[in-house]
Amino acid sequence: MTLWMHELRLLMRQRLAATALALLAALTIAALVAGMAEVARQRAAIAAIPAAQNEDIGAIAAWVDKEKDAGSAAYYSFHPTWDAPSPLAFAALGMRDVSPYILRVRALGLEAQIYDGDTFNPEMALPGRFDFAFVLVFLAPLFVIALCHDLNSSEREAGRWRTLAALPNGGAALWRRRVLLRLALLWSVICMPFAVAAALSGAGFAAILTILLLVAGYLLFWVVLCALVERLGWSSTANAATTAALWLMLVLILPTLGHVAINRAIAIDQGAEIALAQRETVNRAWDIPREDTMKAFYARHPQWADSSPLTSAFHYKWYFAFHQVGDESVAGKVRVYRQGLEARDRAAHGLGWLLPSVGVQSVLTGMARTDLSAQLAYRDRIRDYHRQLREFYYGYMFRDRPFGKADFKRAPMFDAKT
Amino acid sequence: MIEPALPILIEDVFLAYGDHPVLNALSLNVAAGTVTALLGGNGAGKSTTLSTLLGFVRADAGRVAICGIDPGSQPEAARRNIAYLPENVALYEHLTAVENARYLLALSGDTQDRAAITDAFAAAGLQERAWDQRLGAFSKGMRQKVAIAVALLREVPVLLLDEPTSGLDPRATADFNALVLAVRERGTAVLMVTHDLLSAADIADRICFLEAGRIVEDVTADGPDRFDVRALHARFAVSAERLAA
Repeated sequence: MTLWMHELRLLMRQRLAATALALLAALTIAALVAGMAEVARQRAAIAAIPAAQNEDIGAIAAWVDKEKDAGSAAYYSFHPTWDAPSPLAFAALGMRDVSPYILRVRALGLEAQIYDGDTFNPEMALPGRFDFAFVLVFLAPLFVIALCHDLNSSEREAGRWRTLAALPNGGAALWRRRVLLRLALLWSVICMPFAVAAALSGAGFAAILTILLLVAGYLLFWVVLCALVERLGWSSTANAATTAALWLMLVLILPTLGHVAINRAIAIDQGAEIALAQRETVNRAWDIPREDTMKAFYARHPQWADSSPLTSAFHYKWYFAFHQVGDESVAGKVRVYRQGLEARDRAAHGLGWLLPSVGVQSVLTGMARTDLSAQLAYRDRIRDYHRQLREFYYGYMFRDRPFGKADFKRAPMFDAKT
Repeated sequence: MIEPALPILIEDVFLAYGDHPVLNALSLNVAAGTVTALLGGNGAGKSTTLSTLLGFVRADAGRVAICGIDPGSQPEAARRNIAYLPENVALYEHLTAVENARYLLALSGDTQDRAAITDAFAAAGLQERAWDQRLGAFSKGMRQKVAIAVALLREVPVLLLDEPTSGLDPRATADFNALVLAVRERGTAVLMVTHDLLSAADIADRICFLEAGRIVEDVTADGPDRFDVRALHARFAVSAERLAA
């Protein structure tokens, strides 16, 4: 039996260590199952979109076909967009649980629609989902501390230290072997279930390997921290208290303070405020001459300026024009809002270099495409698609072309990949 | 012809903790197949002498060698030649006696099958029913028997004992002394650090009195009575008084 096997048997015969490893394995598996179930639920919801869309369009198509009014078609028809989860989304649900991954848009003003889901559910946003990232970032360090805080001190307190240190393979090599064994076991109970889940989810080999290395690096950080505290020569109780305090600081307090500091340093309006400002401009359009709205609209979109003049009767092209003018009135705010979000994201990434817990979470959500960048990219795709929708319906409205049942099939389709 | 290296060699060793000298021109050799007892009061430097031989601390000056190997610069190589029994033998209570022995042997770079281990237990006087019991309920004497069995199995040239009989009842002390003599008969050099003059006089071939980090008395067993315990006690008491002064 090798020295490693002896150490393994010694460790596994300790009830606390065996229980801790089993518990961490159970938590990891539970988190992976929960993450995969959530992603499966999201995929099922996305897969159900085409049938639901056909049903929705079918409900208004017959009525629209009677009137042949493109404005009514544009006003009453919703068009789905979606952000399909990446193969690694199960591991770090990130913003997917608080931000919409399906958004049905109309050709009306976009800003009021796009920020509909911007107000997070605070109950969900505070603790985050119970996913693999949560287990790794928040819980795994506690298990490292449980297994590694007293490697030296417990031997000293039990009176075994000199006996062990006096043996040829019992000096520094013994502590290194014990540390590496614990690190390997902790890594295994986290990474083996993860690797299986990632393979089942279709994640790429390079991505899986990167996360396996990331887990090793994060666990190593905590192991080194425990070793540094042990070097102070304190008692096991003092070591446990010190490492637990460090966990509290590095995983909870400092990241929270960091985010508060970032949010204070980079102050931005909420998306809902942009929606409100857009809505005020839209509402004001009812109180001003319609020609003023159309003049402003044509100035920005001269390709429609040769459209027939408005009569005293209601026309949807005026209605849609003032919605677009409303959108454009907040374009500056939207740009500043986005720049602010990106600046906060950059600052949070910077914080990740100082705080491993933040850094690991940031890397995981980045690889899982569940971070802010992925959310902003989805918004970009929505904007692009919404622009296509407007152009499609404007082609009927501003040219007074009749819109029949068959025209719905010509409407642009959302391309989730772009 | 090349002389074999002395199992234990300490030559003019100086060692200080900060400004406080602990070993002061200490010289002591232990030959193979002999038992040397090192007696001294608290703070005389007994434990530091053992720590120096085990390579836990390095001498500031002088020469220390275990079978010709400097434990200060090559601690692992030196420890391959040493079996060490601390004052309180503490082993893993959640392992059985056999499992503890296997583990300690593995850390010594040695492997033995169960039969060899139980033979050593039997030789050390550990009752058969205790072999597969966890150590939680073992007495100090039983633990020492496990540790000395491991030392027997390792067949190393040097055995270092730190207060081995403190806390043992007379019967356990007699058993332990018999074991040490058995080890000596195998050619092992035994250095025993102790307060117990009577126990030392029972088994030692030589008794050295350590005071303020140097040997002040060095007595070799002579004749059928070996040592004059009364005279030794008087010298030891004088030595202790000097230290206190």
